[in-house]
Amino acid sequence: MLQILIQHPLSKTFFVFSVICTVLILMAVLLAPLLIPIIIAFTLYALLEPISAIFERHELSRNASSLSVLLILVAIGALSVSLLLPHLSMQLSTLQSQLPVVWQSITTMGNDFNQHITASLNLDIQSSGISQHFFNQVDSWGKSALIEGSNLLISLSVLLVLVPIFTFFLVRDFRSFRNNLLDKLPNSSFEMGWLIYYRVAHQLQGYIRGIMIQSAIMCVITTIGFYILGFDSPFLLGLVAGTLNLIPYVGPLLAMVLPVLLALGHTPVEFWLVGAAVSVILIAQIIDNVIVIPAVIANAVNLHPLVVIVGIIVFGNLFGFIGMVVAIPVISTLNIIFCGLHQGIKTRYNLKLKSSN
Amino acid sequence: MSPQNPLWQNLFKHKEDRTSQVTEMWMDTPLFDKITKRECRDLVKTMHPRFYKKGEMVFNSGDIGASIVLIRSGAIEIKATEKLLAELTSGDFFGEVALIIDEPRTADAIACEDSELIFFLRSDLKEWIKRSPKSGAQFMLNIATVLAARLRHTNILLSMQNS
Repeated sequence: MLQILIQHPLSKTFFVFSVICTVLILMAVLLAPLLIPIIIAFTLYALLEPISAIFERHELSRNASSLSVLLILVAIGALSVSLLLPHLSMQLSTLQSQLPVVWQSITTMGNDFNQHITASLNLDIQSSGISQHFFNQVDSWGKSALIEGSNLLISLSVLLVLVPIFTFFLVRDFRSFRNNLLDKLPNSSFEMGWLIYYRVAHQLQGYIRGIMIQSAIMCVITTIGFYILGFDSPFLLGLVAGTLNLIPYVGPLLAMVLPVLLALGHTPVEFWLVGAAVSVILIAQIIDNVIVIPAVIANAVNLHPLVVIVGIIVFGNLFGFIGMVVAIPVISTLNIIFCGLHQGIKTRYNLKLKSSN
Repeated sequence: MSPQNPLWQNLFKHKEDRTSQVTEMWMDTPLFDKITKRECRDLVKTMHPRFYKKGEMVFNSGDIGASIVLIRSGAIEIKATEKLLAELTSGDFFGEVALIIDEPRTADAIACEDSELIFFLRSDLKEWIKRSPKSGAQFMLNIATVLAARLRHTNILLSMQNS
């Protein structure tokens, strides 16, 4: 009975899958300090590898094409920093100066709301009531976000050095490293290994390229929308909306928080502005769902929406913002590996049964 | 070590020899008809050599297939339901259907000698088609010709059996 259970394709798949997961987790733990630059470098590799292939097609060696890609990356990086950074820092300082006013306005609004409820319903709600607790919570989130933002700026300088180096070596050497690694597979699993690798690579490349294009489009649409509405930091708000769009389902909801808070911060409160701020995100989402997703991301990841939402919450709880961004590609990769292994092991098991009969 | 034959030349000699030999072997097959030797050579560099012992299964009927296989050395038996379909030797290729469709293998392949096989993966073919669409289209046309010839041969065999 135990032997049948051990030899069953599903239990065998679980065993091999657990070994692969353990190796991946160990690698993630060992590389923990470098995980973010590695993830960004792999993202850039997925985006830049086709450019390197074009150079190679035009008679450039692997070294020369990788170097050209690195130069392009550095040039684009330098250009965006020199063009966007002054605007961004100006808008960030405007936002920082606005935030205390916004908090004050929201707190006043909360107190007014409490008084109104107390007067109209004749209820004795303490200032430490639910709404006060909510606004305190929002206040602490805001402060911690600002602290995390400044920490991010410090680690950004480290990333600026590490990411181009990692990307260069990935573009130059990843193919030969991958070939050497997969050629170590035994003859019996060689084709299965390559098949699983290509399914994972194809899906991840499609997802990364798609989500980057999608986020850029979201950033442009929302920036234009917030500019038309007269917000002081339209580009910053658009950039936040575009970045949060990297998180499926939950991201667009989070993207609404900052513009809505800024709209609420106006004295007297202009509710049409709150509605308009929400509408900008919603219109961007509609354009995204109707035009961008079918054209760019369609079928890039075949996961049930419930799996996506639960995955984002669990990964977000474990690893923070980065966890929320990488949740879908990681779950999708594990899904392909498990299905590919199960397919291969099941075929072998059925063949064995057939030959023994 | 002579000046004409520096160290780096010796280091890469073995690999270069293999690449040249495998390129010649592929060029002799109908699959690389009207495709330049240089392109074939570039493609060979992406292929995967594997070594099989005598009696070792290359693949089973029902296995997931992802590549066409060229025999560089040794010999391979192709069997279906224990019936010998073909015995292939150096320079022959098999498993070309897997290059086109993502379906399980339809026959068994067993090494009847110690063999070196060169695997050309479907995924590498797809990448090559993206890089060189013209040559890729020619290659697909060549594969279609090979498959059509095999289908015609099977039809003749079946009609002979029926009559």
